[in-house]
Amino acid sequence: MRPWSQHRRLRRRLGALVIHAILMLGALFMLLPMLWMLSTSFKPPPETAVWPPHLLPRAATLDNYRGLFSAIPFPRFFGNSVFISLVSTASVVITSMIAGAVFAKYRFPGRTVLFMLVLATAIVPFEAYMIPLYIELVRMHWINTYQAIILPTLVMSFGIFLLRQHVASAIPDELLEAARVDGASEWWTFRRVLVPLSGSAMAAVGIFAFIQAWAAFIWPLLVANTDHLFNLEVGLTAFQFRFSTDYGKLMAGSTLSTLPMLIVFLLLRRRIIENMALTGLKG
Amino acid sequence: MPGKSPSGRALGRRDALALGGAAAAVAAIPAAHADTKLTVWTGYPEIQPVYQAVAAEYAKTHPGVTFDFFSSQLRQAEQKLTAAVPTGTGPDVYDIGTNISVNFIENGLIDPNPPEIDAYMKSGPWDKFTVDFLTVDGKTYGLPFLEGSRASLYWNKTYFKEAGIAGPPATFPELIEAAKKLVKFDSQGRMTRSGISLRLSGQGSGIGEKFRYLLAATGGSAIEQTPSGKWHNGYDNQSGRDSLAFYVDAVQTWHIDDPKVLHDADAFATGATAMLFRESWVIGEIQSKNPNLDYGVVPIPAWKAGMPRYMMLQPEGVYVSGQSSNKKVAWDFVKFLTNPQNGLRLTEVTGWLSPRTDIDWKPLLAKTPQFKTFVEPPADIQYYVEPVLPPWDEIETRMADRLTAAYVDPSLKGNPQNIAATIHSMAQQTDQILKDANLYGTA
Amino acid sequence: MSVSLLDRPLPRPLPQGEGRRRIARHAKLWLWCYAMLLPVMVIYAYVRIWPIIRSFVLSFYNWRLIARVRPFVGLANYEHMLGDQNFQIAIWNTTVYSLSIVLISTILALPLAVLLARRSKMSAVYQTIYFLPVITPLVPMSIAWKWIYDYNYGILNYVLSLVGIRPIAWLTDAHIALWALIIMGVWKILGYNMVIFLVGIRNIPATYLEAASLDGAGEMRKFWYVTLPLLRPILLYVLVTATINSYTVFTQVYVMTLGSQDAPGQAVRVLVYDIYQNGFEFFRMGYASAEAVTLTLIVLGFTLIQFRAFRERETT
Repeated sequence: MRPWSQHRRLRRRLGALVIHAILMLGALFMLLPMLWMLSTSFKPPPETAVWPPHLLPRAATLDNYRGLFSAIPFPRFFGNSVFISLVSTASVVITSMIAGAVFAKYRFPGRTVLFMLVLATAIVPFEAYMIPLYIELVRMHWINTYQAIILPTLVMSFGIFLLRQHVASAIPDELLEAARVDGASEWWTFRRVLVPLSGSAMAAVGIFAFIQAWAAFIWPLLVANTDHLFNLEVGLTAFQFRFSTDYGKLMAGSTLSTLPMLIVFLLLRRRIIENMALTGLKG
Repeated sequence: MPGKSPSGRALGRRDALALGGAAAAVAAIPAAHADTKLTVWTGYPEIQPVYQAVAAEYAKTHPGVTFDFFSSQLRQAEQKLTAAVPTGTGPDVYDIGTNISVNFIENGLIDPNPPEIDAYMKSGPWDKFTVDFLTVDGKTYGLPFLEGSRASLYWNKTYFKEAGIAGPPATFPELIEAAKKLVKFDSQGRMTRSGISLRLSGQGSGIGEKFRYLLAATGGSAIEQTPSGKWHNGYDNQSGRDSLAFYVDAVQTWHIDDPKVLHDADAFATGATAMLFRESWVIGEIQSKNPNLDYGVVPIPAWKAGMPRYMMLQPEGVYVSGQSSNKKVAWDFVKFLTNPQNGLRLTEVTGWLSPRTDIDWKPLLAKTPQFKTFVEPPADIQYYVEPVLPPWDEIETRMADRLTAAYVDPSLKGNPQNIAATIHSMAQQTDQILKDANLYGTA
Repeated sequence: MSVSLLDRPLPRPLPQGEGRRRIARHAKLWLWCYAMLLPVMVIYAYVRIWPIIRSFVLSFYNWRLIARVRPFVGLANYEHMLGDQNFQIAIWNTTVYSLSIVLISTILALPLAVLLARRSKMSAVYQTIYFLPVITPLVPMSIAWKWIYDYNYGILNYVLSLVGIRPIAWLTDAHIALWALIIMGVWKILGYNMVIFLVGIRNIPATYLEAASLDGAGEMRKFWYVTLPLLRPILLYVLVTATINSYTVFTQVYVMTLGSQDAPGQAVRVLVYDIYQNGFEFFRMGYASAEAVTLTLIVLGFTLIQFRAFRERETT
């Protein structure tokens, strides 16, 4: 072997090492907040207000978690988050499937107008129209009810686009025609052809909708007045007020609030990443 | 035989009719102790246990009345009430500051007090000042529930002794001198103990309120009422400039406080500061966090020797909602809630003061002498009160937004012109808010 | 009976004189479409279209939630808004925040995606780790970051002290507080951008890159002249979503400015927070709506600019 090719091999090895070092540093940066949160949640109060801070608790305790459960109705908040997220996800998937399929495979008067309407309003952020929505709910006497919290999460323009894209590109017209030729009704075609073939896209939309609904904050903050309606996010914030310096308990609350999403993610890991990437490409 | 009526035949139609008639007759008797549910909202989570204890006692003599309590932080409580009350989805009973209740009153969401409540209120348990505070257009609304201020000076006796200072300051120059001696830094120059814990950052209206302690001491006020009932700013003058200068110098010149050090009741209770301007509830905090703390409470010092000492008053009411379907029971409960025994309970448990004048404080003072300044202030104290008008919260919050930036602004240090300019611009904003609300006037 | 193409139910401009049967079939089809769409569009109209319109209308009124009188004030809210210091601060902060996050997260995500594009076990592990922050809910993580940024006991200052840097007042120093939020924001979306780029890179046909290698191009040139141009639509998507997302920041600001300790205050006043405060603390709904309309226009503006920028490049 000539000396310069050995040199090149060494440089490549070094390059790989450097890359790995950078990637690892980055990974550490990504994980550190969660690990730190976990560690602090097991620390007794004297250990949290200490300098230099200990990376691991020296006298690990479950008191923070115990205190948390007695201070706030955590299971209730969790249950609310689950309920609200599931209802929202179901609604988004259904409405997106219907609208997406109809926009994709059918032409009818007004189609362009309606679709343009959805497109144009898709870009408007929620925070820009939450005030009139709120006023409307005040008028309907729906403040502080489950329907108020769930209402804005029933449809997602993004879901409509994604499913429309999927149906338009992944389901050939011939399939639909074949069904029609056989005398099938449109409804049958929808239920037995379009829906089953859109399974993966529906799952993608569902996952996306679930993650968004779980993390909903500003809207529940506004319309949920009493704590029996709070989801985890709002409940934790109210809790933070009362224990603004009790970081052990706060971190315990944060850990428990993050855990469900982490578990879901780790179980459906590949699915989720693939689907989120899908949404980016097809959108 | 089982299943058969005494006459030997199965229960027939006539028996059914008889039973039905009897049942209807029983149902027609008005239920003497029907279950009443009262929902109560409070903006003070630490007072909720008191509410619950009072409710438990009330339930003993009033079976069939159950309660549903909900508490949230003050700012959130105000927002929730404002959303819920107009739609009739609000609570039966709630406590709230007059800045919010005046909105409800103006829009007919709170009824004037029933005659017997009105008479009770004026019959002596509360002083005229407090009663007037809850009066709008000649009619009283709600009952006084707690005294939200009477902020005074907490001082750490141990630190004072350590620094060789004889006693608490009686004037601001003395306070500044003491603070300079009491502040502590570590080897890297970080402040570990502030001489006095001022409100430099955080929730808007709190900052404004603490700034008003200085405004009052220096002889000014945030807003002033004209003889015709209009309002305008009261601090675009030497008082305002001196107050701002005090804060700027405290942070930047004398270094007796710093935004980065621990603040407020937490700081005082754990010894991170030697002095604090705050209300009586801090006593409750100290009792739970650091009962062995050796501290005293005196009125906020006079600006200069020879000037009076001022104390802020902020009576807060508890109201029965105009849309409640249980008004009678609600008022009965509210009367019970504000009686002398429960007033004393409120102060004992949370430190918040009951504004009743007929409570015997001696047992409380024997246990916790620090309450003296709050419940029996010196006779020479001059009182001032929170203005009651709808945009008040906005005025204070907007002031606070400017103040937080000003306190740490280096261009204001030792620069009277810049301070004057800042105060002037703040005052203009205050006036603008008043103009927007049609409340502005100079005559 | 054979079926001709003319019997396809998809509507076409009907030649004159076609049978009523065909029109009837089209009408039936259209009815079905409308029937399916109706519930969806009704909900959509009620919770989205109608509020958006009303937001615009509301901005011309002086509307205090429970007041009985709601006068029409024309452009007064907008005038007031433009002269309001809080609004100006909010616009400035939010724009700096948004642009910084978009730039930094995109610039960091691209090389990361390239590095991890090669399928390997380590790559999958890294992908998972980098994607974790995206999944975590904002409120608990904001609380965690607030603790990390703590001046006295925070771990970030501790790590810095190990390399000799003096403690930084992350959340109380007016100059730094916004950057503390930006760092957190980048942390949150880096993984998302990376994954999207990664899939885009993997979708690039290997033949293009092989051809480039055969032409003697090194890694850097391949990236710059082959990968990047092909990623253009994906880049556009990432930029647009990141901009909209970051411009509507609220949760972190709300959570981190609660309480009287360590609150950064004006330094992190963002537009949505200003809308929230004006609408739901001061109950000036008309004024807050004017700000909301402005938010929409700004977001729209950014989106259009980005679309325009990418559209032009494609033709050259």
